[in-house]
Parts: sequence; C-alpha cells; structure tokens
Amino acid sequence: MDVVVCTKYVPTETTLGPDHLVVRSGVDGMLDPGDEYGLELALQLTERHGGEVAVVSMGPGEAGTAIQRALAMGAQRGIHVVDPALRGADALVTSRVLAAAIGRAPFDLVVAGVESTDGYTGTVPVTVAELLGLPSVTAIRSLEPSDGGARIERMTEGGFDVYETPLPVVVTVTAGAVEPRYPSLKGIMQAKQKPIERASLADLGIDDVTTTQRVTSVSDAPAKQGGEVVQGDEAVPRIVDLLAEAKVI
Amino acid sequence: MGDAFVYAEVSAEGPKPVALELLAHARGFGMPVAAVALGPGATDSARALGEHGAGTVYASDDPVFADHPDRPAAHVLAGLVADHAPDVVLFAQTYDSRDVAGRLQARTGSTLMANATAVSDPRHARAEIFGGTQVVEVELDGPSPTIVLLRPKSIAAERGGGDAEVVEVDADVPDDVRGARVVERHEEQASGPRLEDAKVVIAGGRGLGGPDAFALLDELAASIDGAAVGASRAAVDAGWVPYSYQIGQTGKTVKPEVYVAAGISGALQHAVGMKGARRIVAINKDPDAPILAMADLGVVGDLFQLVPAITEEIRRRRGS
Amino acid sequence: MLFWRRAGARLDVLRSARPAARTDDPAARTRRELADVFGQRKLFQKAVPGLMHAFIFWGFLVLLPTIFEAMLAAIDRDWTLPYLGHAAWFAFLQDLFATLVIVGVFTAFLIRKVQRPDRFRGSHMEEADLILLLILGIVSTLLLWNATRIALGIADHPTAAPVADALSSLFAGGTGTEVLERVFVWAHLLLVFGFLTYLPKSKHLHIITAAPNVYLAKNQPRGYLEPLRIDLASADADVHLGAAVATDLSRKEVLDLFSCTECGRCQEVCPAWNTGKALSPKLLIMDLRDQVAAEAPLIASAAGTVELQPLVPNAVEDQVVWDCVTCGACVRECPVDIEHVDTIVDLRRNLVMAESRFPREAEAMLRGVEQQENPWGQPASARTEWTSGLDGIRILEPGDPPPEYLFWVGCAGAFDERAKQTTRSIARLLAAAGVDFAILGARERCTGDPARRMGHEYLFQMLAEANVETLSGAGVTTIVASCAHCFNTLANEYPDYGGSYEVIHHTELLSRLQRDGLLPAKRPAGGMVTYHDACYLGRHNGRYDAPRDVLAGAVRATREMERNRERSFCCGAGGARMWMEEGGDARINDTRFAEAEATGADTVATACPYCFVMLDDAAKAAGSATRVADVATLLAESTLD
Repeated sequence: MDVVVCTKYVPTETTLGPDHLVVRSGVDGMLDPGDEYGLELALQLTERHGGEVAVVSMGPGEAGTAIQRALAMGAQRGIHVVDPALRGADALVTSRVLAAAIGRAPFDLVVAGVESTDGYTGTVPVTVAELLGLPSVTAIRSLEPSDGGARIERMTEGGFDVYETPLPVVVTVTAGAVEPRYPSLKGIMQAKQKPIERASLADLGIDDVTTTQRVTSVSDAPAKQGGEVVQGDEAVPRIVDLLAEAKVI
Repeated sequence: MGDAFVYAEVSAEGPKPVALELLAHARGFGMPVAAVALGPGATDSARALGEHGAGTVYASDDPVFADHPDRPAAHVLAGLVADHAPDVVLFAQTYDSRDVAGRLQARTGSTLMANATAVSDPRHARAEIFGGTQVVEVELDGPSPTIVLLRPKSIAAERGGGDAEVVEVDADVPDDVRGARVVERHEEQASGPRLEDAKVVIAGGRGLGGPDAFALLDELAASIDGAAVGASRAAVDAGWVPYSYQIGQTGKTVKPEVYVAAGISGALQHAVGMKGARRIVAINKDPDAPILAMADLGVVGDLFQLVPAITEEIRRRRGS
Repeated sequence: MLFWRRAGARLDVLRSARPAARTDDPAARTRRELADVFGQRKLFQKAVPGLMHAFIFWGFLVLLPTIFEAMLAAIDRDWTLPYLGHAAWFAFLQDLFATLVIVGVFTAFLIRKVQRPDRFRGSHMEEADLILLLILGIVSTLLLWNATRIALGIADHPTAAPVADALSSLFAGGTGTEVLERVFVWAHLLLVFGFLTYLPKSKHLHIITAAPNVYLAKNQPRGYLEPLRIDLASADADVHLGAAVATDLSRKEVLDLFSCTECGRCQEVCPAWNTGKALSPKLLIMDLRDQVAAEAPLIASAAGTVELQPLVPNAVEDQVVWDCVTCGACVRECPVDIEHVDTIVDLRRNLVMAESRFPREAEAMLRGVEQQENPWGQPASARTEWTSGLDGIRILEPGDPPPEYLFWVGCAGAFDERAKQTTRSIARLLAAAGVDFAILGARERCTGDPARRMGHEYLFQMLAEANVETLSGAGVTTIVASCAHCFNTLANEYPDYGGSYEVIHHTELLSRLQRDGLLPAKRPAGGMVTYHDACYLGRHNGRYDAPRDVLAGAVRATREMERNRERSFCCGAGGARMWMEEGGDARINDTRFAEAEATGADTVATACPYCFVMLDDAAKAAGSATRVADVATLLAESTLD
C-alpha cells in the first residue's frame, strides 16, 4: 500500500508578523503534532501490508525539518514544495499545490491530520480530494484494506460509523487514534540518507497563487469578565448561570 | 446584489441547531437567503428553516446524501451554486459541513474562511485566534461565492421569517462521484462524548480524596448534555480513575465550552491541558490555589457540597 | 590451572568490552584504594558487618604468605619461607588473624542465619555459606596444622602463637600427631586450591575484581555521567548508542558485574525497592552478571560475530530499568564501588536512542525538551513570567556585559507555579543583598538533565552545546543555580562540552551573603524546620552544610530526619521519573514526607524545585498541615519585608 502523508511545518510558538501573516521563517518550528497521528497510521499500514510512505510538505526552507522528522519516524521519502511566491498561501493555493505534488506518482492512500494546530481550518485534505477526483473520509480512527478498497472507522459525535470506499482515498486521522512513535536516534540518523525532493511551483506547473484572503486588523479580544472568585450562597446559582450562558444546559 | 446560501445540516429530527444559527448570521446581509438541505428530513425541515429566515429551501430527501456524506452533497451544491450564483455560502464549522465546504472550494476556486465568529457581509468576516485572546478581521477577495464556516454558538438563532419556497432538487449523482459509503452506524450511548470532543468537561483532582467522589462528578455530567468527566494527574496517579481521564501535559488537551475543575490545584502541568477552554469554573477549598486565578469563575468552597448542589440546581431549572 | 581457565573466560569478556577512560588522577585513585579497600571504609558504614568483613579481609592479606609456607612444608616438613617462616612476630600475626577470621566467619553466620537482614533477599545464600565454610576450613586447618607442629616440637616460636599453642595440647605429639600434621597441611592446601578453582564461578571473584574496581571508580562527583559523543553526520551503522548486549558494556561496567558480592547494602537503601517496585540494584547487577557470565564463552570464541541476547528484557525487565530515580544511594553504600546508576543509564540510552522503547508518558517531556527546550513544553517567552511585580531583574541580552553572577533559573523555576515562588524569593534576596546578577530569560534552555537521565544522550548533547555557546558567548564566569539538577549538570557535566564555569547552588550563595551580614534576620521563619537533602546537591555533590547554615540563621529551630545528608531518602523525581507514572506499593514522595512529618516539624525545607513539588504533593495527599518550602523562601520570610 503506497501512502502519501501530508505534513505541515508549524511554528513552535505561533505569532503574527506586521503583515498579519503567521511568522513561519526564522522561528523555531516543528512537524505539526496533529500530523503525527496520520503519519503513524500510514507507517503501521505499510508495516503490515507492504508499500512505501512518502511525505509531502509545502513550506519555507525550514519546513525540511518537519519532513526530516517524518523520515526519522520511518517514512521512506519526502517531497518539499518550496517557492517564495507561496508565502502567505491560503487553503486553496495549498490544496492545489499539494494535489499537484501528490498527483505526480501513483498512490493508494493520502493521509493528513484533521486540522493544523496553527490554523485549524481543516478543509485542505478534502479540497485536495476533490481536485484529485477522489473519495474522502475525515476524522477516522482506523483503516484496513479490504477487497481492493478500504474499511474505515470514522469518529462521530455519538460513537463511530463504518465506511467502505474504493482506493485510492483521502483520509484525515483523529488525535488519539494511534500512538505516534517517538523517532529513535537510529531513525534520525537513517533519515539523513533518505531522499527529499525539492519542488518549485514551476516544477508543479502551477502559476496562479494569488491569495484571496487578507487579515485587515488584529486586536485584543474583549477582556474576559473572568477572575471572579465567589463563596457561600451565591456560588451555586452563579455556576449554573454560567453554564446556561455558555448554552450547555 | 445577489443572495446568500446556507448549507443546512438536516436529519429526521429536523434542521440541526447550528443551521438555524447560520440563518441568523445571513439575516444581517439584507439579501435573500436560500437554505440547501440535502438528505433524509430535508423537506420536513423546510418549515423551520423558513421560520428562521430562509426564503427558499433547496431540498432533497434522497438517502444518497446520508449514505455518502460529503461528495454527493458537494456535487449537488456546486450545481446549485453554478446555477444561481450566490455571493456567499455559509457553512457550520462541523466535521460534516467542513467536508462539503472544502470540496465546494475546489469546484468554485473561491476563498474559504474557517472558524469565523461573525460575518458582516459576503466579503468581511471575523475570527478569534490564539486561544481567544485576539480578534482578526478578514477581507475575502476572489471570485464569488465566498465560503465562510461559522463556529457553532457564535450567534443565537432567531425566528422571524415566513414560509420558505421549497424547491425540489434532483439528486442525480453519478456513481463515480458518490465516494465513500456508510455501511454501519454505532452509537455509543453509555460512555458519552469523548473528553476531547465534549462541550463540557468536569474534571476532578486530588481534592476529591478518593475514587468514590467521582460519582458526584458523573452525576453532574449526566445532568448536562455533552458533558464528560476527566481528571488531573494527581487523581490518576492515585489510581482513582484510569489514565484515559487524564487532562494535562501528560494527558489529553481539551477545549470545551465550559471546563469545571473540582478539587484541582491548577498546576501548570494540568493547566496546559485545559486553559483553551472557553470558560473555566474552578472549585477549590484553598483560596491560594492557582486555578482560581485562571478561572472565569472561581469558587472557594467544599466541592462535596457544591457539586451535588449544582447538579440539583441544573435539574431544577431543566424541570421548570 | 582450572582457575585460570575459568577466570580466563571472564577476562575475555573484559577484553571485549568497551574501553573506559578511568586513569586520570592516580593520586586520588590511590587514596581511595587505600581508604576503601585496605581501610575497608565503606564496609564500616555498617559497624558489625564491617568489622566482620575487615577481620576476614585483613586476615586474608596477612595470611597470604602462609599458603606458600604450607606449599613448601607439604613437600618437606622442614621447609618454610625464608625469614618470615622463622619470625616470631609473623607467627603471632598468623595466629591472631586466623583467630579473627574465625570470629569473622562466625559473626557472618550469626548475621546471615540469626539476624537475617532483608538485604539478602534474592542473594545466593548457599553459595555464601559454602564460601564461609571454605574460609573457616582454610583457617582452621592452618591453626590446627600450626598446633600439631607445636605439639611435635618443630615450631620455632610456640608461645608467639597463643591459640595454636593452646590447641596443641589436643595432640599427644607422637606418630599420630605426625600423621595429623601431614593431614592438616594437605587439607589446608587442598582447601585453598579448591577455593581458587571455585572462585571465578562464584561471587567470591570479588577478591580479585574488587580492588581494581575501586581504583577505577569515578573521581568526579557521583552526579557526573560520562558523555557519549554522538555524531549524527557519521552514517556509521555501528555507532554506539548505549548498552544493548553484553559486548556494549564498558570494562568498568563489566568489572562492576564481577565485583558484586550480593551483600545487598544497595538494595537496602534503594527508594524504588523500598516502595515495592521491581528494581533492586543488587538484583539488577546480579542478573546482568549472570547473563554476561553465561554468554562469556560465546563472546570469547566468536568475538564480534555472535548474536548476543539483548540485556533488556532478557537479564532485566524494562520496568526495572525505568524504576530508578538515579539517587545514588546504592553507589554510596557499595563497598566495592559498583556504579549501578551509570549502568542503568547506559541501558536506558540504548532503549531510548536505538529502540525508542520507554514509558509513553515521558514522551511529552522529551518532546517539550526537544521542541520548546523545556520539559513543560511551554514557549520560551514565558520564562520571565515569574518576574512580574519584581523590579530590577536584569535580563542579559546578547552583547551586554556579563554580570558577576548569572542566575540560572531552570525550567522548573520558570514554569512550575510552586517553584516560581522559590525563584522569586531568590531574586528578592539577591536584590536586597545588592548582588550583581542577571538572568538569561528566554535564552535559557533546559540544561538537558532530564533527557540525559532518561538516556537521550543526543538530546542532552545538543542542549549542552547550545547552552555552552550562549553562556560562554555571553562571557559568563559564575553561575548560581536554583535547582539541584541544573547545578549538577552545569558544574560537573558541562565542562565536557567546553563550558567550564564556577557553579554554585543558591543555598551556597545565600549562606555566604548571610555570613557577610548582607541578609540580617528580622524574625524567625517557618517554626520548627526539618531539612530534606536533595540527592543531586547532597549525595551526588557533597553539599550538606550551606542549606543548614542558612536555616540556622533564619528559622526558629531545626531537627534532622534520621535519613539525612548522604543517607537522605530521595523525593522520587530524579532519573526523569518526575514525568513517569509510579507503581509499587507506596509512593517514594509519600514515604519521604511521612518521615519528615514524623520529626514533628512545622515546615519541611527543600533546596531543589523537584523535591519541593514532590514533597508538597505528598503533603497535600496526606492532608497534612505541614508546610513545604524552599530554604530561600524561608530566608526571605526571615529577612525581607
């Protein structure tokens, strides 16, 4: 089973620059922890059923470290799409880039995390699926190949649903579905020998990367009416009032 | 001036509450609003959708939308969008709606904004970032329609519409566009929501003194829909509850609407697992406990009295 | 001959083991050898067993020449050693020490059979009994042989050997005695040689291995771990990443295994064993030894091509390796200077770096240290949050002139709510005393101690190199650390990475300031206080007095726990166990807190944030009113407004 895992390089501490864009260059970053679940699932699948895990990531030069970590965990090769024109790219551009990168080689499965921990948009994987003309199942907790397709368990609010789908398919994996392995030092050393292909927009045949969203202002949220401490008789009514106000009861 | 589409999640029980909220968001645009309801229960939901502001409801009860949750809906919606050229399509920020929205974006090539808390017009929306401490205003450019995903509970649903015109939609979905198929559904009744997904998390710490007191928290959780019980590391280490309850640095991170901490001191190790909660209520008998400083509502008192009393009060208010 | 063959197998293992650099400072090593081996210093940590063993050991030394005497006399009854064989004083010494050995052996039996201390649980008692009986036999036959010679009138100085003399009256002096004289000398020799052949296969091999083992023990403070340089660029498949199989062990580690006498003194003081965990340092060493001994023939014959069994889990289970808090109580007790902690960390290195096999809950800590450079996984910018409300805390920016003291806050002191209290106290005290100090703020990184103790040597190396670059780049010469672990690592381990600074613990600086009158006490603080010695400050580094001096000048009264100073009982957080879940019958911190509470103290004083958090957790779990506070906080309460 050949699997492509989408990974994102996220800053360790998310901050906005003067242009209201997330600062990604020149700061410490890491492989998005949410992506590790998908990566782990992919590694376990190929360990059980054979095949290769390739990792795709779009990001600045530093994003290579995220791919390195994925390789250290066991992925076989990486594709790093880097191009100065991609700075500040939005979900649509990202989806087009990833779809183009993924589509260049045959695969059985595309895996991603449910949402990135620095953006929380969560739609890129399905947009990629649509661009590639593939089915998708999001928020899954398990996947097993069966009869030329796959049997998938997807988390729902009240439990889980079971899906059947032909391959290839795009899936996003929920946190906690699997326990991501901690890369051993041996893995880190071996990762240095694994190939990482660098691709630019020209390589992918994409020319339009206009971003269609702009943050026009950033301001502090209204200070929470918090920090109140109460005692005695008013405690219970106040708590229940708060619950009501939060619309949970 | 065009119109606004609202993608309304529906079921046999009617429209999901968040769909009605979307209509309230769209009301502010001052333009005709059409709801798109796809799946079993769609036509029956039309009335409620109309009452909440939809002028038109494009409906199809075809089971294909329930059996294949995202692709057929996106396909049909894309067709409607192509035919009617709305200025904006509003979705709920839920797993199911998000899947449809993402696919729609691939077809329309237009911009998509997620996690919005308000949308003033098809080209301007607002979101909160960094744990709710910062507010960003966003301008949406590019071709129409813009796609905006709104967080549940960011607005109150409002009645005040009339009758909606129901337009039957042809669910002619080609086989190769159906995608994954649901073959089994499993509702786990007893366990309630998972900690990570629960709207309300009630967590117990060392102050509970033992495993028995967790029954009090279970009672409280049972009185609230979508509540789950968790614990601090201290309670797990003491063996009172299993590790799956643990919230904190070496446990789960939760971001519920309300986090109720009972008998938890609030050391950083725990705080990192729950400080993203929208509202924090803390009950502790120690007035110097750090958690009281980080709570929206801190209560100095005896949890053994307070927790049952809260459960009582909730039931009383529910009853009435 | 048999002896050499058997010993040879063990020697081969030593030869195949990794070399260890243990030859520095011969003077210190010799001093230790004299004190610990000849002086039996560590054995005397227990009075009676110490005396018992000293008698036998010194007896062994003194009586060595008698073996040769016996060999000569066995060939010809009149032959003996030149000079010694005729010396009255030597006859006296023989007699005296032979008797002392007998006393020692009987004492040993009394201890083992009547008193039955728990430390022997798991030891091979039958083997020990056999050895004791052999020793008894050897020495008795010697005395009896001497006795028969006196009875026969062929002893040079009969009265110089009172015991043998007294025994000689058992023998008539005729032909019967002549036969007996031959019998005894041959019996003596047979027992000696039998003993020798038995030696290599038994734990009694320690009589050969113990002396070199003591010589080769670490000269550095016990908290020091030897570095394992890892160069990622070297794509060497065979790079050494810790101890996976027997041949990965260093020579010192192998010698350690063969020096163990199963005395159990280490087991007795181990906090893990004492709270019902699987780990016993003694059993760990014995189990490793058994596997290495069993594989010795394989190692000797195939040298490098043979498939050896992994030490973990074959010799010791994973959990045993993780139970260790690296407190060093075992190392302190061991009479033959076995360095259990080093071996455990070596096993951990392989488990973590090569196999990624470690308690899952510790992963969050490793990730935090790796990505945010602190075990709490908090952003570096939050390191200065504790300064809010305090004036004049200088943050050392790049290019600033270095302060007299660089106050190393540490991660606990920056991110843990309770430990921040200590940090603030220290800062306020230093400011009040007019000390020129500065902090690194967000440029501080974890010293790497938790990563290193967990076995992630590479992560530690990266942090050490980065920190040294920052510190040396800033021109720092003196560091004051508020955490015992930071202190140990900065002082003892950073020099290996190019960072040599004068490093003192906050209690030392505060003590100096107090002595210099810069922090006069205004009121007594804390009530009756008992001080808990932090392992990484006390036992690992020998610093016991400064905190006590500070307390003496700040609190109303102090009282010691029974297990204090180098005998202190760990709080349970060391060895990265702060981030692991604890099993067993009782919790280490609860156990220690109960001991502290039993002194009747109002306050338990600590000098390390981990001790503080662990004991405070224990206090809360016990619902106790006893307060836990750092020495600095108590001093602040006493001297500041």
